[in-house]
Amino acid sequence: MGAFELVNSKVLKADLAAAGSVLARKGAMLYYTGDVGFVPATAGGVQAMGAGGFGGPGQGMSSGSGMGGMAGGLMGAALRGMSGEFQQMMAAQGHGVVHYGYAGLHVTLVQLNGEPMCVEASRLLAHTAGLQSSVVSVTQASGGGGGGGGGGGLRGLMRGAVAGVATGQGMWTTQLTGAGEVALLSHGGTFELPVTPNGVVVDPQAYVAHRGNVQVQFSASLGWRDAVGRGSGEATQLQVTGQGVVYVQASEEKL
Amino acid sequence: MGQLEVMGRRVLRAQLGGETIRAITGSMVAYEGRFDFRNAGFGGDDGVMAGLRRRATGEALSLMECTGQGVIYFAVMAQDVTVVDMDNDTLQVESRQLLAFSGNLRTDVRFTGLRGASSGQGLFTTIVSGSGQVALLSAGGPLIGLEVSPQYPVVVDPDAFVAAHGNVQSSFLTDVSWANVVGEGGGEAFSLNWQGNGVVYIQPAERV
Repeated sequence: MGAFELVNSKVLKADLAAAGSVLARKGAMLYYTGDVGFVPATAGGVQAMGAGGFGGPGQGMSSGSGMGGMAGGLMGAALRGMSGEFQQMMAAQGHGVVHYGYAGLHVTLVQLNGEPMCVEASRLLAHTAGLQSSVVSVTQASGGGGGGGGGGGLRGLMRGAVAGVATGQGMWTTQLTGAGEVALLSHGGTFELPVTPNGVVVDPQAYVAHRGNVQVQFSASLGWRDAVGRGSGEATQLQVTGQGVVYVQASEEKL
Repeated sequence: MGQLEVMGRRVLRAQLGGETIRAITGSMVAYEGRFDFRNAGFGGDDGVMAGLRRRATGEALSLMECTGQGVIYFAVMAQDVTVVDMDNDTLQVESRQLLAFSGNLRTDVRFTGLRGASSGQGLFTTIVSGSGQVALLSAGGPLIGLEVSPQYPVVVDPDAFVAAHGNVQSSFLTDVSWANVVGEGGGEAFSLNWQGNGVVYIQPAERV
């Protein structure tokens, strides 16, 4: 605990002694002190493969089940390549303090204690190695433990594809489970919106991440007005329901 | 009247109980409750003439009407948000910096002509009048309010100008000697001179 700390609103300080090891977006390292080694890894479950002998605490990706196990295979790699949900990650291990920052974007720290979190790969700055990551479909990512495991079926896949095409958002998202700390990237910072059973609605471009037992559904109300450019500009929306928190950024800029 | 308030620095929060507010098209980031969105760029309270003027001046700004019950959040490109209360007076706003306003305010578009074209400022300014609340955007940091009084006119860069509140008039300065001294290739040849009684708001960044 206390492995991650914000130096200012845009720079993250990670203490490897407290974190064990840290997985961070490739190229986001600013500087470090101490004896730190960097090993390339890939988001979404294949880091155990890609990193060779890398094995931080709680890094048992090969034993992951369902979507996690599948994501480690060729199929997962193919899906990610296809969907664009592919972000090179770097694992930092050793003894020392590493500072991270990316493109002047704001950083939000989140502490996870067992509840799942879904975040787009491009918005994930870093997480402690105690968290397991897997790639799941946006519309399947209900946060119910095992990460879907194909539960959404073809219908979920289609919905995801429609959502991805319409919003420019990937149809896949990175799911983090376990206990640990996460650093999110956002344009202008995030605010937390509690999700109630009645649900909240989020602009797909402003959506950053969600935490807890939350379902995300894509809804579109494209009319003829949008086709001729006279729409309200809010034709595509994400319906978020369940119990948890959704992180919304103060901008509609995609990463 | 919708209650507008700034949440943090960059997000506008509006609590509505069935009223309508207008905001820049596409600026909604989230809401709780039930809301309907409708284009309000042409017609509506603006009047058809304002719409025509907007068309004629190449106005790119468009507004949407948000009606419903609940809480709604707006933000644009991580810009800072400031809420200005209006009490039966007038606000002249650079159209791109007008985030939202409560439904009972009137808007009109004024053609600012060649001055806008030559300075890079928009070709038009939105005039908001009546009583209610207006949310303004400022790039680069919080909005800066400068008092204007008859003894103390204020000269601002047109690219940093956001809004002018109260009974103030602007004139366009193209002082050649001043431009020569300061603007030797530096781009400060044009400036806005504000006179009267009121407040001029500028942002700590220049529009490009």
